[in-house]
Amino acid sequence: MNPRALRLALPANHVVLAGLLALEDGSLVRRDLWFDKEKGLIVDAQKTFYELGQRPSTTIDLSDDIVSPGFLDIQINGAYGFDFSIFPQDDANAGKEYDSGLRMVASRIVETGVTSATLLGWHAEGPFLHHAKRGAHMPGYLLDAPDGFETFETIYGASALKHQTELGNKGVNGVAHARRSPPFVRMITVAPEIAGVIPAIEELFKRGVVCSIGHSIASSDTSLKAVQSGARLITHLFNAMPQLHHRDPSIIGLLGASPILANQKTNPDNNNNKPKSQFTYGDNTKKAQETNSEFASEAFSDVTTPPQTPIIHPVTRGAVPPFNRTLSNASIKGKFTPSVAAPPPIKLFKKPYYGIIVDGCHSHAHSVRVSTSLLLISIFAVEALGDLVGIYRTSSRMYSYYRRFNPTFSAMPMLDPHLEDGLHDWRDNRRLIKEGVKLYIEGTDTLAGSVVTLDICVRNFVQFTGCTLGEALKCVTYNPAACLGIENRKGTLRAGADADLVILDSDGYIKGTWVGGEEVWSTAK
Amino acid sequence: MRFIIRDDPAAVGEYVGNYIARRINEFKPTAERKFVLGLPTGSSPIPTYKVLIRLVKEGKLSFKDVVTFNMDEYVGLPIDHKESYHTFMFEQLFSHIDIPPSQVNILDGTKKDLIAECEEYEQKIKDAGGIELFLAGIGEDGHVAFNEPGSSLASRTRIKTLAYDTILANSRFFDNDLSSVPRMALTVGVATVLEAREVVVVVTGQRKSLALRRAIEEGVNHLTTLSALQLHQHSLIVADEDATAELRVKTVKYFKSIERVQDEVEASHRELRANGNGSPNGKITSSME
Repeated sequence: MNPRALRLALPANHVVLAGLLALEDGSLVRRDLWFDKEKGLIVDAQKTFYELGQRPSTTIDLSDDIVSPGFLDIQINGAYGFDFSIFPQDDANAGKEYDSGLRMVASRIVETGVTSATLLGWHAEGPFLHHAKRGAHMPGYLLDAPDGFETFETIYGASALKHQTELGNKGVNGVAHARRSPPFVRMITVAPEIAGVIPAIEELFKRGVVCSIGHSIASSDTSLKAVQSGARLITHLFNAMPQLHHRDPSIIGLLGASPILANQKTNPDNNNNKPKSQFTYGDNTKKAQETNSEFASEAFSDVTTPPQTPIIHPVTRGAVPPFNRTLSNASIKGKFTPSVAAPPPIKLFKKPYYGIIVDGCHSHAHSVRVSTSLLLISIFAVEALGDLVGIYRTSSRMYSYYRRFNPTFSAMPMLDPHLEDGLHDWRDNRRLIKEGVKLYIEGTDTLAGSVVTLDICVRNFVQFTGCTLGEALKCVTYNPAACLGIENRKGTLRAGADADLVILDSDGYIKGTWVGGEEVWSTAK
Repeated sequence: MRFIIRDDPAAVGEYVGNYIARRINEFKPTAERKFVLGLPTGSSPIPTYKVLIRLVKEGKLSFKDVVTFNMDEYVGLPIDHKESYHTFMFEQLFSHIDIPPSQVNILDGTKKDLIAECEEYEQKIKDAGGIELFLAGIGEDGHVAFNEPGSSLASRTRIKTLAYDTILANSRFFDNDLSSVPRMALTVGVATVLEAREVVVVVTGQRKSLALRRAIEEGVNHLTTLSALQLHQHSLIVADEDATAELRVKTVKYFKSIERVQDEVEASHRELRANGNGSPNGKITSSME
């Protein structure tokens, strides 16, 4: 237990929410939640009761409603008409405007259950992405990292990548503390097959920056290597990556990675999936090899499947630690510990988290279910393409990065549950057509993003996969927090965490949102 | 001894919960004259606690003027350990009812001087005026609190080494790691329980049926510490059908037949008292005890 919880406990300010608590293991348990509304923190109820001999003055009985930690949206590019990706650089008041834009989004998005009024850091999607899977990213801005981590520092700014503590300084009030913190990048979406990216992942991992695999055509081996180097997440699973091919399942295949095999050195022969066969099977193969000469694998082509399949060498048996019950149990919990007889593991393999857009359009309902059934444990994080892992202030270099490399191509300003269907002005004199949660660029059938909100994703997820609401809530609370390494403060109801809470009815509709112990939105209002 | 049989654990909880609530309400506790309640842990009392919580939430019962004493606690387990009895009581009862924390008493197994802790506990019970009603459950070997087979029937609050059976049974709560299961516990003694003015015991499940037989149908024996209840003036055992599996048909039939009579006696006595004619001490005695 976090000692802060006790020290700050002043029971006069304590409030009890009595309802069904959405716990870290995905269960819904009838229990009381005690929090300090002054400090904005969840307190250790039992310690307060026994050691301080006090109990809260106010009890709010929610009967059968659910109390969930506030949702964490780890991938958001803007909302309510404000685009995080555009920074009006030439304007003298730009910083102020940008800041108020962020505040506006933070104050309004609570209606979707997202409580990231504390912005947790930037999620930089790019520019080290693969051209073939660039999606909405402008080709001209995509880059290699010839100097590895140094290139990353040049692009994002060294200060934005400096070593990160849990949530920066020890601020009591989350918002104030976020504002005091220096600007930093908390997540980067990278394509690991881009030159220089894998060594950079190792350094970023050490500094506490979460690397996510996405917009990439990495082969299975490269993907695995990225995870072994420290990548912890997959960005919008199924989208902007090769589709699942059984001989080279690529990034998606990571969900099926065996912790036993993944912990040993990959076979050097296997690192390059270029067919070694001398046979040629006609133009198709050639074409595929030409297009992706460095990363040839038929799985990389979504359109044509060449007859030549990649040659996967069998894994050397000698290095496989003996399989036993304990081992498999341990790996299910994600705590892989080799048995005594096993050779020392090369690197601890942890299956990556993944984000998935549960709007029923970027990922079909069946695909969502497939992805969950691939896992023995639910380590997925639902993402609405959109999140408030952005920060309040940032260096001009950061802005210029965003201007340059992630230009005006996100549809996210349209993320607004109140926006009507139809034509909407976008940027560069282009317009978007909104149809439900889908957004198309006018005159094309190109999806420009999803405007699905996180609360809809949660309900969809329950429908698509048949999981419980508690398990779905875990995917937008504890999982993303654990992925970012901030599960002591966010995405949890444990003592010492911020009292960012969402009240939902049993069908998953949001009835109220609390940030820092204060009710900021409610259906009653 | 009164013995009540109900269909299942939920019905037992309903009966006992309502019984305790009635006793507290009839006692009319005040800040000066508090109702002193002894409480157990374990799975048997959970349905009862659920009923008590419901009654508090419905406004039919209040713990504002109730003092509680718990039976036992492990030695060496931190108070906030998930298996500590502090945690159990907080999660199952105290966090849901309106009891002031200062009126909750649980033995502290983290104290350095455990003997002093036990003596203080006995003193605290005395200072509170003695226990009005002690609720209890039993173990499969018929133990009450941690008074395992062989405990003196005259025992008071003390340190007790757990029986190997109990350690084995408890290891499931400690990741099946025998070495992390506490070896000792602090517990009230059999005599402490017997000193309560009333003892109510909840017995549910077939696994408890042999112990129940020994406690009810056989003699007083320190190998089944619950059997000491036979010497208590005012005791009540409430069991579900499963727990009666090892009892004689005759025993079951007898107690079932007298339940109605008992109810009638109590009801008429309540009426008398309401009219100001009843026995002033609030205790209802009958030939069945």
